[in-house]
Amino acid sequence: MAPVNRSMNVDMTVRLGSLELRNPVMTASGTFASGREYAEFVDLERLGAVVTKGVSMTAWAGNASPRIAETPSGMLNSIGLQNPGVEAFCQTDLPWLAARDVPIVVNVSGHSIAEYVAVAGRLDAEPDVDALEVNISCPNVDEGGMTFGTTCAAAGDVTRAVRAATSKTLIVKLSPNVTDITEIARAVEAEGADAVSLINTLLGMAIDTDTWRPKLARGAGGLSGPAIRPVAVRMVWQVASAVAVPVVGMGGIMNARDAAEFMLAGATAVAVGTANFVDPTTTVRVLDGLEQYCQERGIAQVSALTGALKA
Amino acid sequence: MGAPEVARPGVDVSGACSHEAGHPLLENVIVLSNDRVAEGVGVIVLQSPRVAAAVRPGQFVHLRIAEGSDFILRRPFSVHRAEEGRIHILYQVLGPGTRVLSEKWQGDKMDLIGPLGHGWQVPNGVAHALLVAGGLGAAPLGMLAEELARRGIAVTVAHGAPTASRLVGRDVFEATARRVMTSTDDGSAGERGLVTTLVERALDAERPDVVYACGPEAMARIVAAHAAGADVPCQVSLERLMACGVGACLSCVVATTEGQRRACVEGPVFDAERVIWDATGIPPKHEESAWHL
Repeated sequence: MAPVNRSMNVDMTVRLGSLELRNPVMTASGTFASGREYAEFVDLERLGAVVTKGVSMTAWAGNASPRIAETPSGMLNSIGLQNPGVEAFCQTDLPWLAARDVPIVVNVSGHSIAEYVAVAGRLDAEPDVDALEVNISCPNVDEGGMTFGTTCAAAGDVTRAVRAATSKTLIVKLSPNVTDITEIARAVEAEGADAVSLINTLLGMAIDTDTWRPKLARGAGGLSGPAIRPVAVRMVWQVASAVAVPVVGMGGIMNARDAAEFMLAGATAVAVGTANFVDPTTTVRVLDGLEQYCQERGIAQVSALTGALKA
Repeated sequence: MGAPEVARPGVDVSGACSHEAGHPLLENVIVLSNDRVAEGVGVIVLQSPRVAAAVRPGQFVHLRIAEGSDFILRRPFSVHRAEEGRIHILYQVLGPGTRVLSEKWQGDKMDLIGPLGHGWQVPNGVAHALLVAGGLGAAPLGMLAEELARRGIAVTVAHGAPTASRLVGRDVFEATARRVMTSTDDGSAGERGLVTTLVERALDAERPDVVYACGPEAMARIVAAHAAGADVPCQVSLERLMACGVGACLSCVVATTEGQRRACVEGPVFDAERVIWDATGIPPKHEESAWHL
């Protein structure tokens, strides 16, 4: 391999709809709170975007504990979208994050279409919010969440309603717990989504064979981490071929190579989730590594990786 | 002296929580020693100068026990003692993760995040403290006993375990406490019975100004009830499964009168009177297996 030209200037910018990001490395909702907890470890202003924890209209208490369990190369969670509600978010977390020079994507949750619309409408009034990511894929709430992400009709209905409530960049986060994720992706694209993000967690379960009880109080939960990466890469590859809007790829990204894998499969941007728990500096490590990956190969624009998979 | 106000005012021995202080660190550490002290119980000493210099009693470190993705989650461990660039961690082998920890050798490298969490608070005017350690509950109480002794505060320890060999942390307590009361389930050391019986007696006979407890949640709950009955403020260190350790993931919440609070940031030490024991977040059916990692 040719010597690495570390001075080579790689254009790391990518575009999600009308939103230009300085680089493709984002955070995955629910793993990074609203950034404050990681500011000790990461210069947030280097990130492509901070994607916040899911925000609902009213405060949600979340699920009973235990809420997590370790599994082979991954973890299960059933946090249940505990959050203080959109108003508290706008009063506390948002101003803190807005004081940093980083794009803000707010993850929007709801038990009903009306709740999604109300949250989106409230956030639409906040000039510091750059984009909304509509979560129709959380497996850990009884009403709403994933139930909106598993049929084309419901996914389309939510997207249409939120689209009407906001002029901001609209990302819809898709569930992998479906028979054909490309159908859902097409449905939300048809209703005005500017981008899709995938995958949310895969439904999973683990049982303690000493106590004969589920390891999560809720029974089942969402599987994340490197264990799901091949599934996620496959789905990104399928969806990127099926829709014209950009894809944000995620699922077990631990390092720059993993991020490159998603981009080659068709992702325009990527998000780091569970890896934040393992190494709180993962986001910037992925970013630096991705730039070096491009330098090593004489790639002038990181966006050239997107969909560059060879047959 | 009357019972002091609980925690809020007073001197904060934890240096507030490390987040407010603003200095949790990601530190590479080296194993200096790793000794089995009882069946399934060990003490590992790590060279960790930055944490050793900053950690306050009751705080913890979030330890990555192995590279790769076999053990993807870090494990939270209380700092038992800190001295000259080193920290001591007590652990119990409860599953594959802690078994890997038990197999570490001198010179092995790991990394940790710390110091983390809100530690023990010493209310103003405390002259006498009762420390209650159930089994591995001695872990976060070692540094506290040393700190209290250094400040001239009398320490009584009620120390309980299933059997004599499991009375870990004994040396620190004997070096710092005015009195160490002991119980074991099998009577192999001290009184046969439960440590909560010793607590009841100590509250009555010694009238401590504050109680600090750590152990199985059922024990902590009973200790809290005894302390409340004696009108003595009580703090408890609670254990939760934890992913991020820094307040982001909401895995480790404890139900309190102020709502769901994160054990990693607002805890692990809580005022016992604020803990809602019936809904602390770990139903009794799960407690037995919570740490089978």
